[in-house]
Amino acid sequence: MKLLFVIRQTLNNLWRERTPVVATILTISIALTIMIALFEVSWVLYNELHDLKSNMVIEVYLDSQISGTRARDIQEELNNYNTIDRIRYVSKETAAEIFLQEFGENINDILDENPLPISFEIRLLPAFNHSDYLSLFKKQVENIPGVDEVHYRHVLIEKLETLTEAVAVAGIFVLIILLFAMNLLVRNTIKLSVYAKRRQIAIMNILGAGNLLIRLPFILEGAIEGLIGGIFSATGLIIIHKFIESSFALVSFSSTMYKMLWVYTITLGILIGLLTSAEAVGRFVNKIFSKK
Amino acid sequence: MIQFSNITVNYSYVPGAVKDINLKLRKGDFTLLLGPTGSGKSTLLRLIYMDILPSEGIVTIDKWSSYRITPRQINLLRRNVGVVFQDFKLIENMSVYENVAMPLIIEGYRRRYIKRLVHILLDEINMLQSANQRASTLSLGEKQRVAIARAMAKNPFVIIADEPTGNLDREASQNVLSLLERIHQNGTSVIMATHDYELIKDTPYRRIYIENGQVLPPARTIATPKTRINLLTQTE
Ligand SMILES: Nc1ncnc2c1ncn2[C@@H]1O[C@H](COP(=O)(O)OP(=O)(O)OP(=O)(O)O)[C@@H](O)[C@H]1O
Ligand SMILES: [Mg+2]
Repeated sequence: MKLLFVIRQTLNNLWRERTPVVATILTISIALTIMIALFEVSWVLYNELHDLKSNMVIEVYLDSQISGTRARDIQEELNNYNTIDRIRYVSKETAAEIFLQEFGENINDILDENPLPISFEIRLLPAFNHSDYLSLFKKQVENIPGVDEVHYRHVLIEKLETLTEAVAVAGIFVLIILLFAMNLLVRNTIKLSVYAKRRQIAIMNILGAGNLLIRLPFILEGAIEGLIGGIFSATGLIIIHKFIESSFALVSFSSTMYKMLWVYTITLGILIGLLTSAEAVGRFVNKIFSKK
Repeated sequence: MIQFSNITVNYSYVPGAVKDINLKLRKGDFTLLLGPTGSGKSTLLRLIYMDILPSEGIVTIDKWSSYRITPRQINLLRRNVGVVFQDFKLIENMSVYENVAMPLIIEGYRRRYIKRLVHILLDEINMLQSANQRASTLSLGEKQRVAIARAMAKNPFVIIADEPTGNLDREASQNVLSLLERIHQNGTSVIMATHDYELIKDTPYRRIYIENGQVLPPARTIATPKTRINLLTQTE
C-alpha cells in the first residue's frame, strides 16, 4: 500500500508539472545523445591513435660504409635505451630483399654494388610514442657516430594527437555544460513539485511519516524523467547508427554494440535523474521543515 | 502518561513562551487547556507531539522522553498521538477516504485492512456517503469530523485538539465536542485547547488555565472557575 501510494504520488507529480517535465525530458534526451556521440567519437579517435602509435616503426639508417661489426656496436648502444621495446637488425641483404619486394627489381642488377645501408627498425614502448619524445630520440640517435638518419612518420601522429586532444578538451567542456543543463532542469521540476506539495509534506510530517516516504515520490520523479529521456536518446542514437551503417559500406556495428547503447544510455539517464533529484529533494524538503 | 517537568520554551523572538511548567496528565483523562490568545496553549500541545522540543526541562509522553529523542522515535511517537487543528490540516486535493487512510498508509498497513478500517471510521463520523469527495469540497464542520476520524485511525492513546472548534459555528462545534467526548468514553485521553468557554462551561472535565506562559495555581482556579472564566474572557 505504501508502494502504491508512492507510485501514485510520483505519477501525480509528473502530471501536475507536465510542461516543465516534458522540457526536462527533452533536454535529457538531447544532452544524453550528444554526450554518448561525443564519447564514441573520442573513443574511435583514441583507438586509432593508439593503433598508429603501437604500430609505429622508427627507422635508423647507418652510413652506407658502416660494417656489420660496427653496426652491432651501435645496436648495443641503442640497447641502453630503456624506452625501446624491440630492435630489429636489417642487414644490407635484407634491405635488398625488401627493395625487391616493394619495387619488383633487384638492386644488385641496377647498380654493381648494394648501396643500401644497414638499418634498424625500432619500436618504442607505447608510453613513449608521443611527438615530444620522438623528436628528442631522433636528435639523440642521430648524434651517435655512424648513424646517418632517423626516420618516422610523425606528421600523421601529430595531427591525430592534436585532433584527439582538441576533441577531449571540447568534450569535457560540452560535458560540463550538458550536465549543468540537465541538473538545472531536473532540479526545477523537483522544486516545483515539492513546493506544490509543501502543505501535504508538512501534514505527513505531523502524522509521523518517515523521510523516505515523504521524499521517494520526488526522487522517483527525477529518475523517471531520466529513464524516459534515456529511452528517447537511445532510440535516437540507434537510428543514427543504422543510418551511418547504411550510408557507409565499410562501417558496421555489432549487435553487442547496439545492446550496450541501450543499456548504457538508459542507465546513465536514470542515474543522472536519480542523483540530481535525490540531492535536490533533500534541500527543498529541509527548507519546508525549517520554515515552520 | 504525559508529564511536563520544568518546561520552558523560547522561540527565537519570544523567550519564555511557556515558563517553568510542571504538569501531569493522567491516562484516560479529558483535559481542557484554557487561556487567552498568546498564553502558550499551542506551544504546550506542540510539545506533546514534539513538533517543538523544550528549551529547558523534559517532556515525557508515554514511553518517549524529549531528552535525547531521535527523529525516527519522534515519527513513531506521532503515529501514536492523534492531532486535530483549528485549520483541520487536511490534504485538500485528496478524497475524504485518502485523508483518513493517510496514517494507515504511513504505518504500512495492507490495502484491504485500510479499506475496512476507514469504512468503520467514516461510518463513525456519519460521512460514509462522502468517502470519495475531495476534502476541499466539504463544509468546515465536515472537515473537522474527517480530521478527527484521521486522528483516531491508529487508535492513539491520546488525542490532542488545538482549538478544534475555532472555525466552526455553534452546531458544528457541539458536534465536534460530542465526538471527542465519545472518543474519551471509549478510553482515549483527550487534551483540548479552547477559547470557547460557552461550549465547555457545563462540562465536568479538568481545566488547566494558562496565562503568559504559566499555569495558574489550581486552588484559585478550581475555587472560582466562573470568575476566572469571566476574567479571561474580558482580557481578550
Ligand atoms: N513559531 C513561533 N515563533 C515565534 N514565536 C511564537 C511561535 N509560535 C508562538 N509564538 C509566540 O509564543 C507565545 C505563545 O503562543 P501560543 O501559540 O502557544 O499561544 P496560544 O495560547 O496557542 O494562543 P492562541 O489562542 O492565539 O492560539 C505567543 O507570544 C506567540 O507569539
Ligand atoms: Mg494556539
